[in-house]
Amino acid sequence: MTLIADRPGPGAARPYRFPPVVRRAVAGGQVVAAHLPGQNLAVALLLLDAGAGREPNGKEGLGGVLAKALEEGTAQRDATTYALAIEALGTELVTGLDWDSFQVSVQVPVDRLTAAVQLLAEAVRTPRLDPADVQRVRDDEATALRMDWANPGPRADAALRADLFGAQNRWGRPMYGDPGSVAALDVEDVTVFHSEWFLRPGTLIVAGDLDRIDLDALAAAAFAGTGGGPAGRGGPIEVPLRTGRRIILVDRPGSVQSTLRLGHPSPHRSHPDHVPMTLAGTVLGGAFTSRLNHLIREVHGYTYGIRGEFASSRRFGRFAVSSGVQTAVTAPALVEAVGEITRTQAGGVTEDELAVARSWRAGQLSVELQSPRAIASALTTLVVHDLPDDYHAQLRAALLAADVDQVSAAAATHLHPDALSLVIEGDAAVIRDDLTAAALGDLIDHP
Amino acid sequence: MPDSGYPWPIETSRLDNGLRVVVSEDRTAPAVAVNLWYDVGSRHEPAGQTGFAHLFEHLMFEGSVNVAKTEHMKLIQGSGGSLNATTNPDRTNYFETVPAEHLELALWLEADRMGGLVPALTQETLDNQREVVKNERRQRYENVPYGDAWLRLLPLLYPPGHPYHHATIGSMADLNAADLATFQAFHRTYYAPNNAVLTVVGDAPAAEVFALADKYFGALPAREDIPPAPDGRSVEATGRPAVQTVTADVPAPRVYVAHRGHPFGSPGYDVLTVLATVLGSGRGSRLYQRLADGERIAQPDLVGAYGVDLAHAPAPLIATATARPGVSAERLTEGLAEVVDELATVPVTAAELDRAKALLSTAWWRQMSTVDGRADTLGRYATQFGDPARAADRLPAWLAVTAEQIAEVAAEVLGAADRVTLTYLPEETA
Repeated sequence: MTLIADRPGPGAARPYRFPPVVRRAVAGGQVVAAHLPGQNLAVALLLLDAGAGREPNGKEGLGGVLAKALEEGTAQRDATTYALAIEALGTELVTGLDWDSFQVSVQVPVDRLTAAVQLLAEAVRTPRLDPADVQRVRDDEATALRMDWANPGPRADAALRADLFGAQNRWGRPMYGDPGSVAALDVEDVTVFHSEWFLRPGTLIVAGDLDRIDLDALAAAAFAGTGGGPAGRGGPIEVPLRTGRRIILVDRPGSVQSTLRLGHPSPHRSHPDHVPMTLAGTVLGGAFTSRLNHLIREVHGYTYGIRGEFASSRRFGRFAVSSGVQTAVTAPALVEAVGEITRTQAGGVTEDELAVARSWRAGQLSVELQSPRAIASALTTLVVHDLPDDYHAQLRAALLAADVDQVSAAAATHLHPDALSLVIEGDAAVIRDDLTAAALGDLIDHP
Repeated sequence: MPDSGYPWPIETSRLDNGLRVVVSEDRTAPAVAVNLWYDVGSRHEPAGQTGFAHLFEHLMFEGSVNVAKTEHMKLIQGSGGSLNATTNPDRTNYFETVPAEHLELALWLEADRMGGLVPALTQETLDNQREVVKNERRQRYENVPYGDAWLRLLPLLYPPGHPYHHATIGSMADLNAADLATFQAFHRTYYAPNNAVLTVVGDAPAAEVFALADKYFGALPAREDIPPAPDGRSVEATGRPAVQTVTADVPAPRVYVAHRGHPFGSPGYDVLTVLATVLGSGRGSRLYQRLADGERIAQPDLVGAYGVDLAHAPAPLIATATARPGVSAERLTEGLAEVVDELATVPVTAAELDRAKALLSTAWWRQMSTVDGRADTLGRYATQFGDPARAADRLPAWLAVTAEQIAEVAAEVLGAADRVTLTYLPEETA
C-alpha cells in the first residue's frame, strides 16, 4: 500500500495571540490600534455611531447615499481631483454600514497611511454635498438598488425582516433601504444626517506595523474640526415571537431556483448565551459540515449550499436560514429544513458535532485573522460592543470550554421552530400547491 | 520601486515521483496554508465532457481510501481550519489553512485523495454531487440577471475546439451524461504527483515540510503519459467583430466589450494588467471619468475593466458598462467602444499611470498579506512557469510598464476588427 492509513494526531499547539492592542485618547477622539510587525500593508478605519439604526423611519438608505456623496468633492477639491488624489496613494475610500455603525476606511502600503487618512478625513468631515450632486447620487443609488433587487434574495430578505420585526420599525425595514425609500430622500435629509452624525469624533481603528505609523498624526487628521460627544445608544429591544409558523410566498416568475429565508427573532449581541448560541447555530447551520448542509446538499442534492446562524447587533438579533434550492424540490427542501431545526431544538447537539464546532470557531480566530483588513474588523467589534483588549483570547477560551449541556440548552431555549417565518421567493405558479400541501403553516402571498 | 514582490524565503524540492514541493516559512502567526495546484482544468475536457474537471473537484471532498465520506471537511473544520477548492480553465487547486499543529493532518488528507480516491468513488456520490453542481449552475449562472455573460463571451472569443471555448461549469447535458468510469479514468490520468505542486506557507520549517511530504506523498506512483490539453496559444483572428445581443429579464441594458490579449505571465499581459486598471479600476479610471461621471450614461457602480488571468492562450480582457435610466444600449456601446479605442490614440498620462500602479501595488500586497494568499501565488508560478520565485517579478514588472507600451499593446490587441461585443437588453424595451 502506498498510502499511510493512520491519521496523524496534532503536534504541539502554538499559543494563541491576538496582536497587541493600543488604545489612546487623542485630539478629542479615541484611537484603537493593533500592532502587526513587518506587515507592508496598513488599514485605517474611522468608526462612527451612524449606522442604519440612526436613520429615521421612512428614510432608509440615507447612510448609503451619504457614503457615496462624500466622494463628490470636498471643501478643498472637486470629485475628480479627490478621486485621483486618493487613488494615487493606492486606495479607494471604502465605506460600510451595519445596524450599529458607519465605517470609512483606507488600505495602503504603510508609508502612505498618514496621507490616506488625511484624505479620508477631508471627505468625511468636509464634504461639499452640493445639492445637484446629492440628488444625482440619490438617483444613482435608487437605480443601483433596483438592479440589486432584480437578483433573487433582497425581496425575500425584506419580507422576512418585516415579518420578524414589523415594518413600522426601522429595524423591520431593509438595512440599506429599498429602491423606493432611497428615491424619496431629499437633499436636506442627507445634509442633516451628516451634520448630526458625521462631525462627532468617533473612533479611529488602525491595523499595521505601528513602528512605522504615527498614531498621533493620524488622530490629529481624523479628529480635526470635530465636536459633540457620544449619543445614547438605547438598550435591547424586546421583539415578540410569532405564535405559529407561516409561509410567505414572494413571486419570481420563471425562477429556476427558489430562495429560502427562514427565521425568527433571537437575542441581542451582549446576551450571556452568546457563545453557546453561536455554537448551537454552528452545529445546525453555520459551517459546511453542519446538519442543514449535510442533509439538504450532501444527502439530497437539493442545493449548492444552505446556511443557518444566529446573528446579532447591539439591540436585536435573529436566527435565519438561507438557501437557493431547485424549483421542483422547494417543498421537500423546506420540510427537511424545518425538520432539522425542530430536531436540533428538541434533541440538542452531540459531543462529536460540538467538538468540530468549537474547534472550528476557535481556530478561525487565528486562521482568519491575518490581514490588516481582518484585524481592523476585529477591532471594530471591540469598540462597537464595549469589549476588552483580550476579548478574542477570552472568546477562544469560552468556545473551547462550552459543553454539550450548555449548547443543547441554548438550542432548546433560543430555537423556535414553531415560530418560524418561512419566506419562499420563487415561481409561485409552480410551487404554490406543493407548499400548501406541505402543511407547514398558513400561506400568505407577499404583495 | 521595490526589487521584489516576494520578500520571504522560498525553498523547493522535488520528490522522486515528481511532486514539486514549495515551502515559504513565516512564523508571524501560528497558522499554516497548504495548497495543491493540479495542472488540469476545463481546457483538458473533450467535447461532450464539459464541466467534468469541476464536478471532479467536488468528488475530491467525498472520501478516499482512508477518509470516510464527509470526513475531509469535518477533520479540517474540526482542527479550526478553513478550506476550499476552485477549478478554472487552466487548473484545479485545493487548499486549507489550519492552526500550525495540524499541518500533518492536512498533508495526510491531501495525499489520501491524490493517491486513493478511485476505490472510494461511488455512483451514489457522483449522482449526489452532479445534482449539487447543477444547482451551482442554476444559482450562479441561470437565476441571476446577466449571470450567463461569461458563458456567452467564451465561445465568442475562442473558436470551437479551442481549450477556452467552453466554460468551466459545463453544460447541463454533459453533466447529466457523466458516468462513473469517466471520473475514475479522470483521476488516474491527471491526479498524479508529477502533475501537481504542493505549497506550504506559514509556521512550518522547510526541512520538516519536505520530510512530511516525502512521508505521505513519496510512495504514490508517478504517471508517465499525462495527455496535454489542446494547444490554444495561437487563435486565428477572424478579421470581423463578433456581436451578440441578448434580450432577457434584466433591469437595464448592459454591454461587455472583450478582446483576446496576451497570456498571463507574459510581458504583454503585464502591460494589459496596467492598462485594465487605467481603463476600469476606481473613480479615477477612464471608464468612470468618461461614462459614469463625464457623459453620465453609465451607472457609476457598474463600470469596470479587468483581465482574466489565464496562462495557456491569449487571455481575455473585458470592459463593461450598464446604462443609466433613459440611455440606449446603442449609445452606451458607442461610448464604451470609444473609450477602449482611445487607449491606442490618447496617451496615458503620468498621473494615470501612477494611479494604476499604486492601486496594483496595494492589490499585490493584499494578496501577500495572508499565508493562504501567498501559498496560492507560489503554487501558480511553480505550476505555470516552473519556478515559484518568479512570483517576485510580477509587481516590479507592473511598475516598469510605460505609457508607450500601453499604446502599443492597445493598438495591437484592442482593435475594433477583433472585438467581441455582448449586449443585454431588457425584455420590455425589445
